[in-house]
This record gives sequence, C-alpha cells and structure tokens, in this order.
Amino acid sequence: MSWTGHSITDKSLPRVRLQLRNSDLRYGSVAQLLHWAVAGLIVTQYVLALRASSLPLGVQKLATLAQHKSLGVTILGLAAIRLVWRAFNPVPPLPPHMIGWERGVADISHRLLYLLLFLTPLAGWFMSSARNFPVSWFGLMTLPDILRPSKIMFSIFRTMHWIMAYAMAAIAAVHIAAAIKHHFIDRDDVLTRMLPGPLRLRRRSTRSAKAVSRGDS
Amino acid sequence: MINRIVVVAASLLLPHLSLADNAWSVVPANSRISFIGKQAGAQFQGDFEKFSGTVVLDPKDGAQSRIDVTIEVGSVNSQDDERDATLRGPEMLWAKRYPQARYVAESVVAKSAKTFMADGRLTLRGETRVFPIQFTFDSSGPAASMTGTALLKRLEFGVGKGEWASTEWVADEVTVKFKLQLQRQTAGAPAAKTQP
Repeated sequence: MSWTGHSITDKSLPRVRLQLRNSDLRYGSVAQLLHWAVAGLIVTQYVLALRASSLPLGVQKLATLAQHKSLGVTILGLAAIRLVWRAFNPVPPLPPHMIGWERGVADISHRLLYLLLFLTPLAGWFMSSARNFPVSWFGLMTLPDILRPSKIMFSIFRTMHWIMAYAMAAIAAVHIAAAIKHHFIDRDDVLTRMLPGPLRLRRRSTRSAKAVSRGDS
Repeated sequence: MINRIVVVAASLLLPHLSLADNAWSVVPANSRISFIGKQAGAQFQGDFEKFSGTVVLDPKDGAQSRIDVTIEVGSVNSQDDERDATLRGPEMLWAKRYPQARYVAESVVAKSAKTFMADGRLTLRGETRVFPIQFTFDSSGPAASMTGTALLKRLEFGVGKGEWASTEWVADEVTVKFKLQLQRQTAGAPAAKTQP
C-alpha cells in the first residue's frame, strides 16, 4: 500500500523508476552517486589540504590532516568500487557527433582521472608512513605503514602527492569545461545523463535522432 | 679474636655479597626504551635513545630488589623532527626544564620464576607518581635481559599543556615498552669470603 492509500497498481499515480544500472542512454543512479560523491570529496580534500598546510604543528593541524587522510582512504575505496561497478556496467556510448580526436581526448582524460584517483591517495599513504604518522580511517581502523620512516621517501612522496593532486585538478577542469561545452554548445546529453531526474533527450542525444524518433527503447 | 672479627664481618657482609651477585647495570647500546602513543586514532612508536640504570634483582627475595633507571628526556625520537621538537617543548615533556625522567622501584614481586612486577615511582616532567611495571627477567652468566611494559597516563604527569591537554587527538594512555640488556656488575663489595 502506498502512502496515499492507493493500491500500488493504481495507474493514476506517477511511476518513479529508479534506474540503478547504466543504460545506453544514461548513467544509472549508482554510477551517478559514485561520481558526484567522489567529486565532492575531492573538492573537500583540496580545502582541507590547503588549510592544513597553512597551520603550524598543533592540534588543529593534526585534526585537519586526520580528516584529510580519512577522506583520502574513503576516496581510494570508492575508486575501487567505481572500477568494479564499471566492469559490470558498460558506460553509455559517446554521442555520434563526436569525431576521432574528441573521443581520444575524452578517453585519455577519463583514464587519467581514474589513474590519479588511485595514485594520489596511495602517495598520501606512502607519505604518511614515511613520516611515522600512520593513517587512521576516522579513528576506526588504522592502515598499516607501507614504508619505514625516511625523510627522503617522505619528500619524494609528498612531491608526488601534490603534483598528482594538481594534475587531477587540471584534468578535472578540462573535464568540467568539456561537460559544459557538450551541454551548451553541442546541445547533446553528455552532461544530463550524469544527472538525476527524468532524462529528456536533447536534440543531439547519445542515441541518434533517427533511433529516438523510430521509438527504439 | 681475629677469627671472631672475621666471622662477624663475614656474616654482616655475606648478604651484601649475594646482592653483589644480583647487581646489574643496563647496557644502553643493546637496550631499548620505547613508547607507543596514539594520535588521531593511529598508533605511532618512538624511542628514548639515551638512558642508563642499575637493577638489583634477587628472584628469591623481592624486598631486596631495586630498579633505578634514568632517561634523558631530550633524546626522544619518534622519527619525525617536527613532532620530536613538540614533544621536547614546554607543553609536552619540557626537556629543557626537566631533562631527566627517573624510575625507582625498591621492591619487586615475583609472579613466576621469570616474571615480576614492580610498583616503583616514576618522576617525569617534575611529577612523581606510582608507576607499576611488569617484566620478565632472564639471566645467563654475566648477561641478563629484562623485557616489560607499563601503561602511562601522560596527563598524570602534566605531559600535555595548553591545546595538548585535550585527549581528543592525542590519547592519554601511552604504552611504554622496554627491553634492557644487563651486565653483571663486578662486585664493589668486599670479595673476602675466606678467613685470611
């Protein structure tokens, strides 16, 4: 029985369809949630990192870095989940209007983002180990130290960590700019298919206009 | 007359001679005193690299035992310069004002043939508190080893002032671990056991 007292087979109620998995028209809710959660976490990480680096060693800095590390471990876990989910959920194909080099850029930038999603927190983990400041996930679980304490190793992994973080920011900027371009200039559904809500196919959708007008589901 | 003197002297000295048998000094080069603290939910280990001490342990008579270890607080090393500087600072160990920590136990209780407990007193950062430790003691010939742990509550000793008084990010409990190698002290006590 639904809230309003109607039977669930009552056809006068709008049907809400939760699409968990990807289709060839759009990303499913799981992929969307993972995507936006990770994006939000990454932005938070930049804020925490910048705040921590401006603090002198003290309780505030410890607390900020602890949060940064906990979120970093979370991102690493989500990255793994995303890869697995993607293995079982092919992503919607790119719109037909995209030509070779565009597809190449899209492909490379997505791969790089995934790669950095793994390597950046890993470098952070190495960095923490090298400084004998083990990583705790929200005080619930401590990651083992991957390296023995070493000033040189700390230096190397710290450099790698922030270079990769900035690289990720740069590629993400391209990623975001591309999404905006697709939406406002190409007028296709590249952006909307990663957003929740009913999908209204745009003029240049992933499916060709012909396929849509043929009524292919 | 002389015989009587010697017998009396020997009977007075004999207990001390047996103490000399049980007197050891710490060999710092092969020993380790470390601590495990907890910051932001994660444990980290550090060491005190300079220390010295003596142990008198009579396994059969704990009341005659004595432990006396002095630690140079400034020798703290947790593998991170910034953290060590903070640890040495006035809000934590205050090594400048209290350069040494000292543990003195004046008796020992045997739990088994090789395990013992001592309810000594630790003086740290100017505060003295009862500080129980437990350890195993293993001797063979001129060498012995003493391995044990103790649980320290840093705030009891005032280690953590200002923002560090909070235990939100740095735990109060610190596990102290030690593994001391000891060498038998050559008896400073009179060696005469036989009549002249």
